[in-house]
Amino acid sequence: MTTTSNNPVVALTGVFKTYTAGEVEVPAVKGVTFTIPRRRFSVIVGPSGSGKTTLLNLIGCLDTPTAGRVVVADQDVATLTDNAISDFRARKVGFIFQNFSLIPVFSAYENVEYPLLMLGVSAPERRRRVTSMLEAVGLADRGRQRPNQLSGGQKQRVAIARALVKEPDLVLADEPTANLDSHTGAAIIELMRRMQEQYSTTFVFSTHDRQLMSHADDTFTIRDGLLVDHVTGAAS
Amino acid sequence: MMLVKIAARNLFRNTRRTVTTLGTITIGAGAVLVFGAYITYIQYAVQTNAVQRTGHLQVFRRGYFAMGTAAPGAWGIDHYTTVLSLIQQDPTLRTLSAVVTPMQLLAGIAGSFENNTSKTFFGVGFVPSDRDQMEQWDEYGTESRGLKRSGLRDSELSKGITGIGLVRILGLCAQLHLENCPPQPAQPSSDLAAEETPAPPVNLAALTSRDKPADAKASAAPTLDLLAATAGGAPNVVSLQVANVELQPWKELDDNYVGMNIGLAQNLVYGRGEHKATSIVVQLHRTQDLEIARSRLLALFREHGLDLEVHDFTELNPQYNQIIGLFGSIFAFITTIIAVVVVFTVSNATSMSVIERTGEIGTTRAMGMRRQGIRKQFLVEGSLLGVIGATLGALLAQIVAYAVNHAGLTWTPPNAGAPVPLRLYTNGAYALIGATWIGLVIVSSLAALLPANRAARLPVVDALRHV
Repeated sequence: MTTTSNNPVVALTGVFKTYTAGEVEVPAVKGVTFTIPRRRFSVIVGPSGSGKTTLLNLIGCLDTPTAGRVVVADQDVATLTDNAISDFRARKVGFIFQNFSLIPVFSAYENVEYPLLMLGVSAPERRRRVTSMLEAVGLADRGRQRPNQLSGGQKQRVAIARALVKEPDLVLADEPTANLDSHTGAAIIELMRRMQEQYSTTFVFSTHDRQLMSHADDTFTIRDGLLVDHVTGAAS
Repeated sequence: MMLVKIAARNLFRNTRRTVTTLGTITIGAGAVLVFGAYITYIQYAVQTNAVQRTGHLQVFRRGYFAMGTAAPGAWGIDHYTTVLSLIQQDPTLRTLSAVVTPMQLLAGIAGSFENNTSKTFFGVGFVPSDRDQMEQWDEYGTESRGLKRSGLRDSELSKGITGIGLVRILGLCAQLHLENCPPQPAQPSSDLAAEETPAPPVNLAALTSRDKPADAKASAAPTLDLLAATAGGAPNVVSLQVANVELQPWKELDDNYVGMNIGLAQNLVYGRGEHKATSIVVQLHRTQDLEIARSRLLALFREHGLDLEVHDFTELNPQYNQIIGLFGSIFAFITTIIAVVVVFTVSNATSMSVIERTGEIGTTRAMGMRRQGIRKQFLVEGSLLGVIGATLGALLAQIVAYAVNHAGLTWTPPNAGAPVPLRLYTNGAYALIGATWIGLVIVSSLAALLPANRAARLPVVDALRHV
């Protein structure tokens, strides 16, 4: 269930992230500060290697900053233990990946059901929510099919359903259309936008496709690890 | 349950690898179980032989077991018939016992007057009907026979049985119509021997002629003259008609063995004095009652102030524990090798699986799976390999056992005189099957632990980046 708080869902303050490759230190994010409001459809844009994915990883609590503060859904993630961060992700954050990342041994239905199993949701409730979510993404009749029996667009729909089924505060999508043709990509963005409105949640996705920016409420432009622009569009 | 379902599906993502791994575990489990079943059978067969020969327990006069074997006559149990009755009438022991019977051991010189030959012998005096009943003991259905039927009757005091080696040495093969028993070669002449060998000290035939029963004279069976020292130290001689010969399990015994009615043995050892017995043999219905019976015997002797000691068949047959120990060591060695092979196979298969599923590990961790959830997933997969492999191995062992048990193979157990059917005891070997099954599941799980830990420790971001 999404929270009713009006605080920004994401607040980054002076965040740095430096990777070490052998003896070389590679700065990926260089002191970024910004907030992402709730129930918005936000996009992080920038060229390849600009730090989009690193930012999403930090926001999604998949990685820890070298310096700075990351607050997600009113939680300073630096204060959480590894298990607590996992639990936090399980409840609060949904992910959609560029390569879909569906579990190949699960059917579409089971892939959507999996996050609910982790949360210990009862079987009847799981059935209700998964069925409803598959209908919402237009895959009600594909529930039994395994990922290798689905097209790219269908896989990404399953991934969207999987991210939303636990009703998270925040859904992060890392270049969700990169592996899709332009037509399917546009359809996926449409679907994401519709689902964001329908479930009144926050979507943050990264892309280097400037055409997709027109769908966004907020656009954050990243270049060389720095926030270079923030454009606020129409509120949802 | 969901974990098992996921594990089962993951296992068969790479069917060839899983089948290879399962094959290794299955063959390993099968080998352990088949060899374990063989050892179980060996143990039962050797135990059956020992119990048929010596019973489960033997009661001796205190000190006999350590010191008295050199002079059994001097270490006989006084008033042994009273002790025998005491044991036979005790309610506990009566229920547990199949046979309670006296035994007299002795040693001396056996001579054949007709052939002018003589040889030291080791004698056992027994009650023939009790001995024949002891020979029927077969708690485990091995069909092993440590003894042959004596062919003697309790009432025929002068008849006995000997080892084949003894009658061969005494030159009685022809008279007994024995096959594979060559006639005695001419004694190598030696002037020195002729000069130095003294004349026999006693004419055994002359000594025994006055004691020979009438039926012995009428019989065509060869007669042995047995000379032994009585308990008092005087020489004594009796005649024994060789009614039967029996191959003994080892040559030394075969060349020395004389079995006879206990009455004859007692006549030889005690003469006209009080007849005693070297031991009282207690054969139980079931080996598992051995300790209860031993405790009861000792309590009974304490109650009645009897200075007696009790020894079980493992003490009376030292080779029993040696044989079991030897096979136990081989079993442990084989089991260890198989466990090591299973560890490497499962560990390798799980490591490959972790590498192949690194991206997937990243996805599930991103979705909120804790590290221990990842570890548990791979451990369950390792355990499942063990469960399936061990179960198939148990089935394989049953098939092999069935084939061997119906192939008509035979073998001669240690201490047995004749071959018996070779069997693999898998039916009812629940402890063996259970221990092997559990052991392999544990080994498989432990083998998966290292790669499972590696999977659990993967940084989420690195796992997601993995292609």
